[in-house]
Formats: sequence, structure tokens, C-alpha cells
Amino acid sequence: MNRRVFLMGVPGLAGCSRGGAQRLNVFNWTEYVAPETIPGFEREFGVRVRYGVYESAEEMLARVMSGNSGWDVVFPANYFIAPMVQLGLLAEVDHSKLDNLGTLDARFQKPHWDPDLRYGIPYMWGATGILYQSNLQPPIEAWSDLWQPRVRGKITMLDDPAEVLGAALKALKFSLNSEDRGELARAKDEAARQKPLLRAYVNEIVRDQLVAGELMAAQVWRSTAMRAMESAGGRLRFVYPREGYPLYADTITILKESKRRELAHAFINYLTRPKVAARIAEVKLESTCNAGARELLPPVLRDHPVLYPDEATMQRGEWFAPLSGEAQKLRDRLWTEIKSS
Amino acid sequence: MSRWLSLYAVAAYVFLHLPLAVLAVFSFNSSRFTAWESFSFTWYHAAFSDSQLGEATVNSFLIGTAATVLATAVGTLCAYALWKRSSLWMTSTLYLSMVTPEIVLGIALLALYQWMFRYLGLQLGMHTVILAHVMFCTAYVVTVVAARLRTMDASLEEAALDLGATEWEAFFRVTLPQLVPAIVSAALLVFITSFDDFVITSLVAGVDSETLPMVIYAMARKGFNPAVNAISTMIVVGLGVLILLSSRLEHKA
Amino acid sequence: MAPAATLLAILFLIPIAIVAAYSLLSRGPYGGVMPPWNVENYMRLADPLYLSILWRTILYSFLATAVCLLAGFPLAWFISRSGTRKGLFLALVIVPFWTSFLVRTYAWMFLLRDTGLINSTLQWLGLIHDPLPLLYNPFAVIVGLVYGYLPFMILPIYSTLEKLDPALLEASADLGARPMTTMFQVVIPLAKPGMLAGGVLVFISCLGAYLTPDLLGGGKTIMIGNLVQNQFTAARDWPFGAALSLLLMAVVMAMLMPVLRREKDGLL
Repeated sequence: MNRRVFLMGVPGLAGCSRGGAQRLNVFNWTEYVAPETIPGFEREFGVRVRYGVYESAEEMLARVMSGNSGWDVVFPANYFIAPMVQLGLLAEVDHSKLDNLGTLDARFQKPHWDPDLRYGIPYMWGATGILYQSNLQPPIEAWSDLWQPRVRGKITMLDDPAEVLGAALKALKFSLNSEDRGELARAKDEAARQKPLLRAYVNEIVRDQLVAGELMAAQVWRSTAMRAMESAGGRLRFVYPREGYPLYADTITILKESKRRELAHAFINYLTRPKVAARIAEVKLESTCNAGARELLPPVLRDHPVLYPDEATMQRGEWFAPLSGEAQKLRDRLWTEIKSS
Repeated sequence: MSRWLSLYAVAAYVFLHLPLAVLAVFSFNSSRFTAWESFSFTWYHAAFSDSQLGEATVNSFLIGTAATVLATAVGTLCAYALWKRSSLWMTSTLYLSMVTPEIVLGIALLALYQWMFRYLGLQLGMHTVILAHVMFCTAYVVTVVAARLRTMDASLEEAALDLGATEWEAFFRVTLPQLVPAIVSAALLVFITSFDDFVITSLVAGVDSETLPMVIYAMARKGFNPAVNAISTMIVVGLGVLILLSSRLEHKA
Repeated sequence: MAPAATLLAILFLIPIAIVAAYSLLSRGPYGGVMPPWNVENYMRLADPLYLSILWRTILYSFLATAVCLLAGFPLAWFISRSGTRKGLFLALVIVPFWTSFLVRTYAWMFLLRDTGLINSTLQWLGLIHDPLPLLYNPFAVIVGLVYGYLPFMILPIYSTLEKLDPALLEASADLGARPMTTMFQVVIPLAKPGMLAGGVLVFISCLGAYLTPDLLGGGKTIMIGNLVQNQFTAARDWPFGAALSLLLMAVVMAMLMPVLRREKDGLL
């Protein structure tokens, strides 16, 4: 907490830091780089990086929407790319300035949400599944298991409309991204029917209760599950539900407003270097989209069945997609009904 | 009765401080989870080596102090003006500003700033956060100070005016000293509100004005980080010691 | 002073005007607002679903305010009577609030949950066998709201009681009044503006709460704060969120108006 840090906070002095070195403003989720990632980049390129964090994708979107936010690089999820392009927020990335695209996993070379990787370079991918006590017999394998009477009062679901409706849709064998009134109405009924069984709708904080053994099972993000399993040893098990499950990928993008495109490209190039990406994936227990990086991981992580499930499991997953305005309105109404039931 | 009152006070303070004790205890836990493992300084180490947390704490203190000074001054004057000449119109406006849900106020302020700044070529930053905090905290000050003013006797100030004091003199010499407890209470409320605000701040903050709550909420998104417990404990202990010292000094003076 | 006050009022009114304008526009596809102007958002409000949420919110807020008043008044009284230690005891009220609301709420989750401090202590003492369901219910929400906003009650009451002259109490006692009589005849009337101010502050703050019902209530009940929050996040329906807020503001103002009006000097 020295003088420099203090001065950085004063608005008038913002852009120009010590020695006139260039500064890149990176806006990301917390804990999404390794401790040495940013210092490494600063050293190598002789620049400074402001690494800001956001709490939700909506917070990020609200702040960059003006086109005058000051951020250069942001990490939207795959289903945020289309909306952000339509709002004119994203710049196209220049592939001639990126050397490591070839090391991307084949799955992310031509993703359906951005087939030519024009706007976002896939960074990490995640999923939603069920974390449960491994001594549970029979084990939990499907979303529909979370509707069984035996789990009454011993399970939680995520406090997120897309996830809860998504699980119900999947249990009914519908698409995660359904916009169909009839399908959504049935999913809502299912979710409402499940509500009396639930202890709560709760997000990442459920981790402690699972580790403490208070809960039988919970719908969780995989990143939460990895942390919980790390400390609970074999007591907890994660499953990708049989009916299918949500997938999403965070991508590295450059904002159109950025005046430091050159440096932003250098940053993307740096983050996609197999060595750098591997280190991040290792420390943060995330699944990298970079096949070259995966190769460099310690075997226990490289072949981790939860971090990198087999092809059959991956095929069951469904990527979150952007929804139409009408569908979002309907889903919010249904969510409010579920919450008030 | 006074014994019962003291007993009650002890119970009330336990209620207020129990969560604090919990987070202090877990700040010394070696585990990331809320289950005791062993004593360790891991999270203090983590808090100190995390420059983002440190910087955000400094920002929060700066913003909190500036907002407190400004909101308390403006709010006190406002309450005084309303006391001298009541205006239902202005009182209603103040209450309306309090009732506005935080996120709505945040979005509206963001829209306002962005619209203004597009023409002025400015960006969001500390100044916008401070302005936003002053806007939603001033109403608290008015409410608290006005409550105190209502218990006061207006004739005192009138007497001062009759004796030839100017309006300002009467205010500063006669009324203001009597308002001190209310002003202190209001300032404390503003500081804790500003220091703790997440919703509005996260919307109107710029690249260089990340506050402690913003970092904490963002961290919680990936599962709770006990370094936050460590930094909270340090803030509480630090400010607590300051208060103890100042109350000692007051006693001696 | 009048120009300054007017300026302030304008500063407050501009954001409210923006909210009002938003509520009359249409939803942008990815958040934000766009033409055409219409009143559809207000039509949607006339829905038993939303009105029942509003009603529940008012009920919870009222309950939390009442508990705050009952719990806060004796403490404010205690502080104002504690002579030279006043400052210290007042500071002790504020100390816990130098930590983040989120962190404090997490601490409450730890206290209240099945294997939490309260349940394990009771079990250790042999008072209960199975853990009590303390977390994830309306009880926990009320505890969280009371805890979160107690200083907003204590400080205004304290600032009105602080002025109370000890001689007044002695006089009352000398005249043969019993402590309780003194309390109701002398102290409470004096503290009334503070109680009113505190009540308004707590009540209004509770109305906007969204994290407490989510975390301590386990998201199983929804308050108007959550509903508004959802419109600006997951649902990305800003105009409807703005209309909801205006409904909330209108209802609260309608409730406050009689209180504001009845007071003789029209100040509060």
C-alpha cells in the first residue's frame, strides 16, 4: 500500500502510470489467472496491467455497454458473444497477431457460436452437474434423481433461473435453451414440484455444507465441485447427469473501445501460450480450452475424469445459447412463480 | 432496573459481535472451509500478498471518508434548512431517493454519468463513486439530524439573533454544537453505508476505483476466500484500537 | 441556503426522472431500453403474483423494523446513560459494520446451519438431539434483516436520548414517579423523533434487501428487492424493473405520507 498505489486511485492520474509505461486494463472473473500470470506479462512486455474483477456477467455488460468504460480485454461467456457483437462492443481479433491458435483443442477451433474465432478466443470451459456424498447408495446419476423422495431436505439447487429451469428441461429431455412455451411451462411445474424437497437455492457457498456432510447432493458448477472435492478427498463425487447438462466457455475478447489493441493482442497471445495456460489451469483447477496446455499438466490433472471427461460424456452436454427477449421475459416470470410457490 | 439494562446490553453486544468473532476465528484457520483445522497465518499472508485487496481497501477508505465528509455537511445543512422552513416537497424528494432500490439508482446514475461524460470526454472513476455515495447517503444524514433538531428549542437561536448575531453565527455558535451527537451518529452511518456498498458502486465505478466490497463479492463468486476474513479482522482491530485510543485521550483531556 | 437545497433536490430528482422514463420504454434485447414508449410495464404490475410479493416484503420489513425498535431502544438508552463511556459503547455498535455485509451474512450462515455454532453448542449441552432448522427459513431472514439494520435504529434514537438531562429523571423520581412511569412519560416522548427516524430508515432499507432472502432464506422466498434485482440481471428487463421500483416507491410514500403529515412541524 505505497504511494504509487495510492496515486493510482486518483482519477486525474489514472491513465498515466509510473514512467509513462503503457497500461492494459483487463476485466475478468476473480481467481481466473495464476498468481504469476499478470506479473509475468508485465515483466516481459515492460507494461502495467490493471486486473479488475466482476461479480456477474451482467455487471460486466452494464459497465462496458457505454463504449467508454476504459477496459481493454474482457472474458464473456460464449453465449454473451453474439449479444455483445450486436451491441457493437467487441472488436475483431487479428489472427495474424496470434501464434497459438493451433494449440486450441479441436473442439474450440471452430465453435458454433463463433466459427471463425472472429471475436473471442476460448479460454476455459465449465459445466454444471451434481456433487453428492459418495457413500450414497444407489449413487446419483441423473437430474431426475434430485426429484426422489429419499433426498427430501438434503439437497440444494443453484439460485439461478437458467440452471434450475435447465435441469428441469433436461430431466424432461428438452433442450436447455428451449424457448417453447409448453416445454417451459412443464419445466416450471417440475421445478415447483421439486421445491418442497429442497433445503435451499444457493450457489457456491453450498460447498462448505457439502464438505461438512450436511447435504446429500447439490446442483453445482464444476469449479465449485473441484474445490470441494479437493478438500473432501473421496467423500464427494461429481457426476455429469445422464440426461445431459449445461456447458459454457469463457472467451478472451477485445473491446471495440480499446485504444491498446496491439497490447491486447499480445496479452491474448501470452495467455494462450501452452506454458502460461497450463499453469493457470493447474493452479485454478479449471479445464483449459488449450490442448497444448493440457499436455503440459501433471498426469493427475491432465487425465482427470471431471476436468476432462471422455467424449461420450462431452457429447451429452449442451452449450448455453443466447435467448430471445420474449423467452427471457417468460423465463423470469416462471422463475418468479417457482420462487413464490 | 439498571442491572437488567446492563445485562441486556451485554446480550445485545454479544448478538452484534458474534458474527465478527466467527470471522476472526476463521481468519486463523488453515483450511479454506468453515471447519476448524489448525491455527495458521495463511490467510493473513494471502491478504498481504494480494495487492488487489490492499488497493481496494485503500480505495474504500478514501471513498468512504470523502463521501462521509460531503454527505454529512450537505445533509446537516439540508436538515437545518428544512427545520427553519419545512417543505413537504423537499422532504418527499429525500425519502423518494431513499426508497429507490439500490440497483435502480445505480442504473439511473450510470445512465446519467455516461450521457454527461459522452460530451465531456470523462470516464467513470473515484469521483463518480463518491458523487453517487453522497447522493444516496445525504438522505440518511437529513433524517438523523432532523430528528435531533426536532427535540431542540428554536427560541435559543432566536435569542441569539435578537442579541445581534448573524444567521450564520447563530447556526455555528448555538445550533451546531447541540447537533454534534446527531452529526456523529449520521457520519458513522454514512461511513458504514459507503464503505459497504456494492450494488451502486459496482455500476458507477471506473477502471481505477475498485472498492473492497467489489473485490469481496467477486471473490465470493468463486467460493469464499478466507483472506477476506483476515482483512476484515485487521480493519476491525485497527479501527477498534484507534477508537479505544481516542476515547482514552478524551478521558485524559 | 435555498438554492443549495434546490440543487440537491434536482440532483435527487434527475435519477428518479430517468427511472420514470425507463419504466415507460420498451425492453432492449440485451438489457437497456429502447422506443416505443408504452405503459405495458405498468399493466404487468397488476398481477396477483407481484402484488403478493410486495405484500410479503412489507410484512417482513415491518416485522424486522418492530424487532429493531424493541431491541434497539434499550441499547440506545443504555448507551446514552453510560456517561463518559458513551463514545466507546456507541463505537462498539458500529464496529461489526466495518466488515462487508456479505462476510457478515456468511458468518450468520455458519452460526445458523445444521453443523453450525448454535446447533452444535445446543447439542453439546444436551438440550437438543437433532439440529434445529435455523437456516433457510423466514426466521433466518428476519434475523439477518434485524442484524443488518440495527445500527440504523440505535444511532438516531441515541442522538435524541443523548440530550436528556439526568436532572429531569431525578426530578421525576423525586416527585415519586416509578421508573416505568418516567420511561413512558418522559423518556419515550423525547425519543419519539429518533424512533420515527430509525423506523423509517430500517423499514426502507429492509424493503430493498435482496441478499438476505437469497442467502439466509435460501432463496426459497422472494422479496421485492430480488424481483427488481432479477430484472436488471438475469431477465434483462430494465423497463419492468423500473416500473416495479416505482410501484414500490409509490406504496412506501403512500405509507409514509400520513406520518410525515401528522407531525406538527411537517419536518419528518
